[in-house]
This record gives sequence, structure tokens and C-alpha cells, in this order.
Amino acid sequence: MSLRIVVAVKYVPDATGDRHFAEDLTTDRDAVDGLLSELDEYAVEQALQIAEEADDAEITVLTVGPEDAKDALRKALSMGADQAVHVEDDALHGTDALGTSLVLAKAIEHTGYDLVVCGMASTDGTMGVLPAMLAERLGVPQVTLLSEVKVEDGKVTGRRDGDAASEQLEAQLPAVVSVTDQSGEARYPSFKGIMAAKKKKVESLDLSDLGIEEDEVGLAGAWTKVDSAAERPARTAGTIVTDEGEGGKQLAAFLAEQKFI
Amino acid sequence: MRLGPTADEELFARTVRALLERRCTPRDVRAGFARKRWEELAETGVTGLLVSEEHGGLGLGAGALVAVAAAGGRACAPEPVVEAAVAAALLAGVDADRAAKWLRELAAGTAVAAVRLPVGGPRTGGGPGAVPVAHAAYADLVLVVDGHALHVCPAADACIGPVAGVDPGRGLAHVDISTLSGEPPVALREWTVTRAGWLGAIGAAADLLGAARAMLELTVRYAGQREQFGRAIGSYQAVKHLLADVLIAVEFAHPVVLRAAYSFDHDLPSAGRDAAMAKVFASDAADLAARSCLQVHGAIGYTEECDLVLWLRRVWALSAAWGDAAHHRAAVAADLLGPAPAPPCP
Repeated sequence: MSLRIVVAVKYVPDATGDRHFAEDLTTDRDAVDGLLSELDEYAVEQALQIAEEADDAEITVLTVGPEDAKDALRKALSMGADQAVHVEDDALHGTDALGTSLVLAKAIEHTGYDLVVCGMASTDGTMGVLPAMLAERLGVPQVTLLSEVKVEDGKVTGRRDGDAASEQLEAQLPAVVSVTDQSGEARYPSFKGIMAAKKKKVESLDLSDLGIEEDEVGLAGAWTKVDSAAERPARTAGTIVTDEGEGGKQLAAFLAEQKFI
Repeated sequence: MRLGPTADEELFARTVRALLERRCTPRDVRAGFARKRWEELAETGVTGLLVSEEHGGLGLGAGALVAVAAAGGRACAPEPVVEAAVAAALLAGVDADRAAKWLRELAAGTAVAAVRLPVGGPRTGGGPGAVPVAHAAYADLVLVVDGHALHVCPAADACIGPVAGVDPGRGLAHVDISTLSGEPPVALREWTVTRAGWLGAIGAAADLLGAARAMLELTVRYAGQREQFGRAIGSYQAVKHLLADVLIAVEFAHPVVLRAAYSFDHDLPSAGRDAAMAKVFASDAADLAARSCLQVHGAIGYTEECDLVLWLRRVWALSAAWGDAAHHRAAVAADLLGPAPAPPCP
């Protein structure tokens, strides 16, 4: 039987743009162009490599997001994924990570899977908790933050690089993995890939298709709430220390004051 | 009527731009042509844009070339993307057996083509001896058009000697066509040669506009940082005006180039004139950009250490390539007004 890989991806505001919150303190998606989260490109790349190694594999990219989020799916399809699932519902506006993990888990179960591949975090929310939540919801092992990943004999193995040590991890399929930005640069879509992507299937689902109640998601259903947000203060000029023999001491005193040493 | 690239072509151009932003930094440009980058461009389809699908290419037209060449110009990529397209157009006029191998290799990125197609100057290669060919220093295939004759020279069989050019990134070399052995040149139809020349002019025009935009961005950033008399020089109106004029020239040239590609792809009767217009507008805009950006940078602008110089040299070389602005302006005039009267006899 073929290896069914689901890659969960996020459509995020361009990190190089000028990002803001909207009035209800959710991400303002209108002001900045959106794209496939760069960290999720690594997940797509690893999924493609796993699929190339496997005899028979099928990659489904999955996203939860507004209409424009189809762009992220298109990009992943043009890189080589086989099909896409887009969960879109007005009630999803303002959903937090916990709610998103519920929607993704239901959609993944709907699609069917042997392996779920995620990026290490989104470039907008940067929480990095979703893979773990997803594994919990699906009731399968999680192997997160891998910089190398392989699937062999019904097992997923990989290397997680920490500050002090590298761990070799493995889990029985089905499982959820997340890959880091050290896992290998994502490929660029070719023109043929872009053209082929137009013919690939994109399934649209809403909450009722997944059997999710509206109050389980959205701002109302969120377990976390943003109370207030402030613009990052403009960078100040900083302190200039002129060395008159005491420069080293002054520098040390500054670092100590800032609790760096 | 939509002149711009299709949505797919635009998405493709963005991909090429993203690839070059990572793989073709100013440091890479200084290192010159890179076969690895050529192969990566080939994987996306850039080198086979105009190669037919039968030979592994994409079978696209000048519209796609414009989108991609502009991305190349922006990054100042040394790789001969426009030449690959012109080579495909020329080889399409050569009998299948001889052309197929090279078309396949071009599309696959295993071969690099350099093209000499005199536009403007004398139609011949100047008789026996060497002709300068851009990109010949690292090409696998050199195509030299001499009148209606096309020399298809594998680089291995040709006598090629690198020479100093305005832009070291363009791999200029002398190719001695008089010593060519092997197969005789192919007789091309005049139409094939003419259209290949237009394609080169359109591609170079797009390349120039990409370069002009890159220089403008670089210079706007510089003007915001460089202080004089206690203020950023970009806050002075005289500097703002210089750069605003560059932007206007580039923006006005852009649709002219798109129009030329459209006319080319649709075989309109005005295709030749439109291609000439494109090269005139793009060369003038890029020349203005080069001059103004150098002016705003001041003397640092032409030092080796400053990235601006990479684009300056590219623009100087490209303005003259595929017929300069004066040649194409005369071509437009001739098309509109008829041939220029012969000078009176003394």
C-alpha cells in the first residue's frame, strides 16, 4: 500500500513586509502579501524526498485558512505534492493553536495518513507547538524538530540536533514529525511544476464536513486570548561608551546590568 | 489586450527571482558564470524557455523570456539566458538531426550556448579572422551568424580566446570562424535570422530594465544612508529628482518591452519596429539609471568594492549588444518614414 504523507502548511503574511494586528487583535492579513511559510517549505521538501525514496507514496498538502491560503497550497503543489486539502470557514477567524490542531487533526483523519510532516513553527505565530498538539489529538507518536528524516520499514527515523547533543529518534508509523530549517533547502518550483499544479486536485472542506462545532474554534473558542498589543518601540541609539581606560569595566557593568553576564 | 506575462509566467519569474536572490548574490556575480547555477536554472526550465517541448523545453515565447530575463538582470546573473533563447530560435531553422542534440542539451542545462548575430553592424563576420562573441569563454556551443550562414560550432572544435570586455561577467571571447573544421555552415532563411535578432533585442531590453531597477533600489537605499551636511543625501530634492527621473524612464520603458514581446509572439506586422522600440527605450532608461545612480553614489560607485559597478558594466555592455539605441532608433525611423535618403554626392 502506498505511503500516505500529509504535510500541514500555513499561509502567513510575508515576514519581510510590515506586519500589524487587525482591530480584533488577530493578524492583519490584508495589509501584507501572504505566502507559504518558509519553514513549511522545508516540510514539503522533506515529504518530497521521502516520497522519492518510497516505492509508492502520495503527498497531500493541507492548510486551514482564508481563500488566499490556496496560494500556499498551489506553491506546494508546484513543488511536487500530489493533491491538496483546504479547510476554509468564516467561523475559523481568530482560531488559536489548540483550535487549529483540532481542525487539522480532523482533516488529516478525513484524508487518511501514515505520516504527517510539519515545519518547526510558523513564521508569524512562531509557537512551534502544533506538531505536538496534532500528535496528541491523533493519538500517534511525535518526533519533532528533526534535521534529518527517513522512512524505512514502517518506521520514521531522524536526527534531532540539540545544543549539547544530537539524538537519533524513531517511531512506528503512523506518526507526526516536524522538521527544522537545517533539514535541507527547499526546491524551487519549475515551470512544468507550476503548470502541472493547476491540474491537481484541491479539496475544499468546511467545519460541517469535519463535524466540528463552530464554538470549538474561532475567537470565541480560543483558549488563548490576546488582550493588548503594542508596536515595537523604535530602536534607540543605545549607549556609547568612550574608552578612557575604563571602557572594559563599563562594558562589563552594562552587560551585568542587563543580566547578560 | 493583455501585454504582460500570463499569471503562470509571472509566478515562474518570481520563482526564478527567488532562486537568483539566493544563488546569485553580488559575491557570486563577481565570481562569474557558474555551471551549477546554470544547471539549477535549467531544472526550473529557464534554459529551455524557447526550446520546443519535443526537445525537452517549454515551448514558450518572448513574453516568458521578458519575465525571466528581467529577473536575470535584477540579479546581474552572468548566465546567458537570452542567448539560450536566441540559440533555440536559430536552431529551429536548422535540420532536425543536427539541431536536436543541442536543443536537448540546452533545455537540460548540460550545454551553454553563445551567439554572435551582428545586429546593426555589417552582416558578415568581417571576413577571415576572429569575431568577438559574448559568453563564448565558457560556452559549449557557439553559434555564429554570418550573413544567412549559421556556423554551428561545438566549442571543442573552435579556436576560442578570451578577451577583455567591458563586463568581465559576460565571458567575451574571440572565436575564429575561419579555422572551423567539421560541418559546413547552414543556410538560414532571412526571416529566421531577422526574428532571432528581434528576440535578442527584446531579451536584452528586459535584462536592461531588470538591471536598471536593481541599480535604482541599491541607490535609493544608499541615498537613505549616506549623510552629507548632517542629513541623508536622499532628503535633498536634487537627489530625489535624479532618482525619480530614473523610475519614470524605467516604468515608461516597461510596457514598450512587453508590447514588443506580444508583437513577436503574435507575429504582428509591427514586430520588428516594436522590438527596435523596446531596445531604444530600455537602453536609454538603463543608461540614465547607470549615469544617475553613479552620480548619486559619487566616486565610490565605480570602485570594485561597491556592488553598483557590477550593474554599471552589465548595462554598458548590454546597451551596445543586439544593436544599440541609435541603430534601433534609425530602424524605427526607417520603418515609419521609409529608408533614409542616400547622402548627396560630393
